Amino acid sequence: MITAQGIARTFPGRGSMLRREPVRALRGIDFTIPDHGAVSFIGESGCGKTTLGRILCGFEEFDGGDLIIDGQSMKALRSRDRAQYFRRIQMIHQDPYSALNPTRTIGQILGDPLHLRARQTGAAAGWVRDRRAELLGLVGLDPDYVLPRYPHMLSGGMRQRVVIARALTVDPEVLVADEAVSMIDVSLRLGILQLLQGLRAKAGVSLLFITHDVATARYLGPDGELYVIYRGMVVEHGGTDAIIRHPTHPYTQCLLSAIPVLRGIEEPGPDRLIPLAPLDERTQPPGCLFEPRCPQAAADCRAAVPELTQRADASPGSASPGSASPGSASPGSASHEWACLHPETRSVVATVAS
Amino acid sequence: MSVTASLPPEQLQKAVTRSRTVSATRWRILVRTPGRVISLVIVTGFVLMAITGPYLYPKNLPINANDIYAPPSWAHPLGTDFEGTDVLALIVTGARYVLLAAFIAAIVTLVIGTAAGLIAGYYPRSTGRPIMRVTDFILAIPGLPLLMVLATIWSFGSPQQMGLVLGITGWGGIARAVRAQTLSLRERGFVEAARGLGLPGRRIIGTEILPNVAPYVSMNLIMQVTGFIYIEVGLFFLGVVKYSSSNWGVMLNNAVFQADALTNTRALSYLLSPLICILLLTIALVTLANVGDEIFNPRLRKI
Amino acid sequence: MAAPVKPETATGAAVRVRDLTVAFRTQEGPLPAVSHVNLDLVRGQITGLVGESGSGKSTLALALLNAVPAPGQVVEGAVEIDGVGDVLALRRGALRKMRGADIGYVFQASQNSLNPLKRVGKLLLDLGRSHGLRDGRALIQQSKALLADMGLDATRVLSSYQHELSGGMRQRVGIVFALLLNAHVLILDEPTTALDMLSQAQVLEIIRRIHAERHLTTLIISHDMSVIGDLADRMAVMYAGRVVEEGPTASVLACPRHPYTRALLAAMPRITGDTAGARALPGRPPDLMSIPRRGCVFEPRCPLATPACLDDEPPDTYTGDHRFACFVTAGETQ
Repeated sequence: MITAQGIARTFPGRGSMLRREPVRALRGIDFTIPDHGAVSFIGESGCGKTTLGRILCGFEEFDGGDLIIDGQSMKALRSRDRAQYFRRIQMIHQDPYSALNPTRTIGQILGDPLHLRARQTGAAAGWVRDRRAELLGLVGLDPDYVLPRYPHMLSGGMRQRVVIARALTVDPEVLVADEAVSMIDVSLRLGILQLLQGLRAKAGVSLLFITHDVATARYLGPDGELYVIYRGMVVEHGGTDAIIRHPTHPYTQCLLSAIPVLRGIEEPGPDRLIPLAPLDERTQPPGCLFEPRCPQAAADCRAAVPELTQRADASPGSASPGSASPGSASPGSASHEWACLHPETRSVVATVAS
Repeated sequence: MSVTASLPPEQLQKAVTRSRTVSATRWRILVRTPGRVISLVIVTGFVLMAITGPYLYPKNLPINANDIYAPPSWAHPLGTDFEGTDVLALIVTGARYVLLAAFIAAIVTLVIGTAAGLIAGYYPRSTGRPIMRVTDFILAIPGLPLLMVLATIWSFGSPQQMGLVLGITGWGGIARAVRAQTLSLRERGFVEAARGLGLPGRRIIGTEILPNVAPYVSMNLIMQVTGFIYIEVGLFFLGVVKYSSSNWGVMLNNAVFQADALTNTRALSYLLSPLICILLLTIALVTLANVGDEIFNPRLRKI
Repeated sequence: MAAPVKPETATGAAVRVRDLTVAFRTQEGPLPAVSHVNLDLVRGQITGLVGESGSGKSTLALALLNAVPAPGQVVEGAVEIDGVGDVLALRRGALRKMRGADIGYVFQASQNSLNPLKRVGKLLLDLGRSHGLRDGRALIQQSKALLADMGLDATRVLSSYQHELSGGMRQRVGIVFALLLNAHVLILDEPTTALDMLSQAQVLEIIRRIHAERHLTTLIISHDMSVIGDLADRMAVMYAGRVVEEGPTASVLACPRHPYTRALLAAMPRITGDTAGARALPGRPPDLMSIPRRGCVFEPRCPLATPACLDDEPPDTYTGDHRFACFVTAGETQ
């Protein structure tokens, strides 16, 4: 189980020496990835979700807050002791081509970590071969077809499956999929999504799915959780289906409004919202970060930064049934929280046409 | 996608079996175009010359005072020199020094430069810094003047000595370039993944990074060989290095300064023979240089 | 395949593609990337072309400009554009003029198709000059108007280099390039790939508006069915170099007749509908080498395949102005 508490990350800014402003990529994010769970982060590009994924895998440092992996705080450890914990979290990159060494065959690519494992655990001869075939079977690939080939001889979907198999060689607990299906043909995406969902049970992994395409987040399992991230902050969090059906924060509503509507089979949502302006990372609004772009902004939104809470007095139809205390869970799913001073649930998502 | 990617199953199995033999694939790449085949023949020819040349002729080549600067004839296909020695014999025996020195120099720069570049690129903030200081120092050394100064105390009689010195003063460029490539490769998905999987740094450098810089290094190596040939031939031609053995640079030196070959046509073949050999060899090497890219980068293969 | 007799639209089409075949020279001989394609782009309508990698959609788009790169070449067919004639018969000078003045082509934002060494304003002036428009001031004025129309800060964009602009901005600049010379046909190749949801919605809205304001004939090419489904009035589905289904968007999506269209809709991750009802497509999209040489190209992956599908390519079946090519579903009654 992975818990993040107040993860913050600020990058020294780009720009000339005189005008270098630091970029606050993450401003204190809390989340939990339960065992065998499926958590998705959505947001537009530049919102910090990729940085968060990389911090989780140990590829980036965090300069605020703490990351607790299986009960061990990472802040308390020296960086060389952290490696064994971060190894339990493996990344599935967006581009399956650059994630595989073009000069090595799939057999070699999968063999490297397995041989290392074999040496460490003193495994018998042939264990590598068997385990390799087993993992390829788990991801739905035929070993005889795939092992002698180079990455460029496989389709995008197959390459991504190889990347997933490689991640599984170290028996990870969490797979971080950063836009893992964005560069794959549409007809092949569902296969990868269903594979990831299946691995939760078959390989005992939990998923962290980072995407800008909310629709894909629906296919990881009915109990998926969704975090909506805006400029390094969580603005809404809850069950994936709950948020899609009852989005409450205006930013979430803008994101869901932007999803294209299929003519003839879908009707657009009646209350769709559009942001007032494009994202400008240089502005530092005094109150709510989304206020300059929010079509529903009120006067007091500039005054205070909204906290992430559940509100009992939210509009009817919200997912938290009547309970006033923050953090109480609706039956069977994660609690639905949002960070907005004037939350209101709106119908923005398309519905199936009758 | 490469052509083999989606042939029908039976053909694919054959193609895959064929490519299974690494050396078979490399051979096919080498002989793919006529230009490459000719270049291969030329280089092989010169290498054979270098290896066997001195054994085909006596140690001291015969001189014939009656036959100096003779034009090409059946007895002397390339003419004779200022002592009446057969120019062809000179070319063949002189090849060894030129090629061996260049080859040794190239190996030395390859090994030192690549190792330095890989380590400096992969550990840029720790070990990399002192390595780059040394590299910058080496780069700053003016190669030719240094060799000229060294030549006053050292006669470079053996090609190994020449090769070693050329190599030790010349690895800076490769180190720089390999370091730059390593730095960028380090950020690629598969290298990051290898780190995340817990593979040790040595292994990552050797199996992930090195094969991806290999195309550049191999091409650079071949170009460096041509560069070293020029330097050493140049040194001997300028007369800076006192010669104690015959080689092509010495021939050029004699042709220009003793036979005045640039102003009269008396010893034309004596002048042209080493020049043309250098030219042929260089062109052949350059043609073969892009073979390295195809060998090490399976994506570019057209087979 | 001879051009089918279409019920109407023959006169309303600004671009008529007839029996177009584009083949690539390979070691195995010439292989078709686009095969006997018939397509009409109706004036004033947005037509969408959906296809995955290897479907030939980009090759088809380039063929409309007669810009297919070697080793590909147009083997058969014609592309007629109103006011220009058969594009494939044009010689170099007329061809160059047509590109830009009659057809505007917008590349993907992620394909760095803008010269990285020159500022955007300079590039726009270059474009105008290469078409004989020497009045720089007028060009800049027009560019500024177009850029403002796209919701961009014109002065800032004109003085920027391409790497200083975000993906969404680059895409919009690409559209400005295509429209600067007042083309009446606009082709957009993957206009929103690599853009996030908000930028994508913005670009689609701009395309919709520009199309309506200028009464253009627009062709949108995408692998993303939802983009086509939202924006296009008519849509065509391409598979392995052939148009397998084509018709009004609402009709094709509500009543898909070709098994590939149906499978694609079932396999597409969607925001509506039951996730449990989704079915992944077996196999993978074919590329040049693996397209079946005989019979229906979709047969290897088709859930409805019969032995008859191995012998011949299915002809087009029409229901109104909705056509599709399948032996099996042709027999279905509505």
